Amino acid sequence: MLNYLLVQAVNGLVIGVIYAVIAAGLTVIFSILKIVNFAHGEVYMMGGYFAYFAIALLGVPPMAAIFVAMALAFLLSVLFERTLLTPLYSPTTERKADYGILATFGISILLRNIAIIAFGPFPLRPPSFFQGVLVWGPIVISWDRIFAAGAGAAILVALTLFLRRSAWGQALNAVSQSRESAAIVGINDRLVYTLAFGVGGALAGGAGALVGPIYALSPTMGLQPDTQAFVIVILGGMGSVGGAIIAALLIGLSEGMFVALFPDPTRSLAYAQAFSLLVMMLVLLVRPKGFFGRVHLAME
Amino acid sequence: MRPTQLAGAALLLMLVLAFPVLVNPYWLTVGILAIFYAIVTASWALLVGYAGQFSFGHMGFVSMGAYCSALLVSAAGLPIPIGMAAALVLSGVVGAVIGYTCLRMHGPYLAIFTMAFSEVFRIIALTENEITGGAGGLEVTPLFHTRSDAPYFYLGLALLAASLGLMSWMTTSRWGLFFRAIRENEQAAAAAGVKVVRFRVLVFAIASSFAGLAGAFYAHYIGILTPDVGSVDQMGLVVAMAVIGGAESLPAAVIGAIVVEFLVEALRAYGEWRLVLFGALLLLTVRFARNGLLALAWEQVLRLGPVRERARPARRPAAS
Repeated sequence: MLNYLLVQAVNGLVIGVIYAVIAAGLTVIFSILKIVNFAHGEVYMMGGYFAYFAIALLGVPPMAAIFVAMALAFLLSVLFERTLLTPLYSPTTERKADYGILATFGISILLRNIAIIAFGPFPLRPPSFFQGVLVWGPIVISWDRIFAAGAGAAILVALTLFLRRSAWGQALNAVSQSRESAAIVGINDRLVYTLAFGVGGALAGGAGALVGPIYALSPTMGLQPDTQAFVIVILGGMGSVGGAIIAALLIGLSEGMFVALFPDPTRSLAYAQAFSLLVMMLVLLVRPKGFFGRVHLAME
Repeated sequence: MRPTQLAGAALLLMLVLAFPVLVNPYWLTVGILAIFYAIVTASWALLVGYAGQFSFGHMGFVSMGAYCSALLVSAAGLPIPIGMAAALVLSGVVGAVIGYTCLRMHGPYLAIFTMAFSEVFRIIALTENEITGGAGGLEVTPLFHTRSDAPYFYLGLALLAASLGLMSWMTTSRWGLFFRAIRENEQAAAAAGVKVVRFRVLVFAIASSFAGLAGAFYAHYIGILTPDVGSVDQMGLVVAMAVIGGAESLPAAVIGAIVVEFLVEALRAYGEWRLVLFGALLLLTVRFARNGLLALAWEQVLRLGPVRERARPARRPAAS
């Protein structure tokens, strides 16, 4: 039993890293555009398929396919931002939050149904990054999971460096604090919005590519991580990348533990999803601003 | 109302009443489902378009009402009308509770919370398959044992008329004003003396109870109830119906629901492409005509109207 718990804990942490990448994307978009992206899970799904087809059709090596997926997810997000989200920046648009919800919800329906047509409803599994499993004492874990966790962590480090050190990252941070002040010091805010939505999409796409070999790809795979990423972003505080990472690991771990400890094993997987949703509802009720939220990024 | 309008309305009413006789059973089924979606869409428009309470959990209430009535009738042996009334009451009470617990939430937070609520309900309905039948579906006692579906059509029509009448009365009264005030700015509404807490809970309860009633009607008509009723995709369809018609007007939302449902069936040959089409149509409507396509079309008509009337007196002196 203890060994099983340990394996579940390690698996939970691995998934936690993937969740952290997805949630970091969601929170970058939120902190700049001030909208919750309901299509985030679908961009994640598209990222998985981009990687799959890069490998299957173009013969790209699996690891390079991650970058292909991120680049294509970036372009896809930029396309949507440029065509559909521009009213968010116009002063004549009424109730911008509602507009953001409707527009991104519409994008999510569109992408999910395009995926069903284009990729078929059947699950597809891209080739492994590394074959085999690691056996280390009582812990048995596939190399794919280890690679996914490692690559996810690397993406998060790269994101943090980008946000902290690069001029573009600082521009993102400046706009997240005050659009007007950023414009005064010469930051082109239109470009920053596009960049933020693109970077958020690229993170989701990268996560999708990493998850492909672990779970198979399916058009509806975005639904669950979407809500999961909401839980994490709210728990970690909207707009806080560090908070999102901590919350993601916590959620991944508690989900693994929930599956391991739930008394009825035939239902534990189904209820694991409901469990994280209930956690989110509870967090929304008790601490709507999360635990690490930055004050200037409060929604209302 | 001018005589031509009156005649048009009477003709439309006669066409609607004669609908079950005019069409084959397949399109009658589509008509009944369109009525079901019309009630759901109208109540969603009341909640979102009028009161600005963004809920993605509306289909959860539909599903809850459906299961409530179906289970009460099949397991407890209650008569169907009582089951449907119970569905209405249960959805209303749960809606009030959700509305009350969500008082601190706005916009996307509320949308996510309600979506999570409806997903949790769907997961429970899917997993507890000893009670609900799970994904295989729950067999529901039919409401009428007739060969034709016409009684369902007239009952649905009556429910639609009653709920639409009640909701229209609400939105044209002071309550409608309060709802819109809350939508535009809650603080300002509260400062102007609107009891924000009371009316937010109230609109949630009312909209949810209509959703629950529609769900119960749907369950007893369709015969096999699956948890898919409360899925995010179904919610997406209702959102598309409301937005394409115009979420800020009840009749526009109803017409949107009916048109979209008939289009969904008419374009059946295109299979999965239909949902892509409606997704794209939803996005285009949100992007370019936020008040809905119907409002856009209506605006064109109104714009043409006064021009003609202005042209008429101008011509008369020239002729004399």
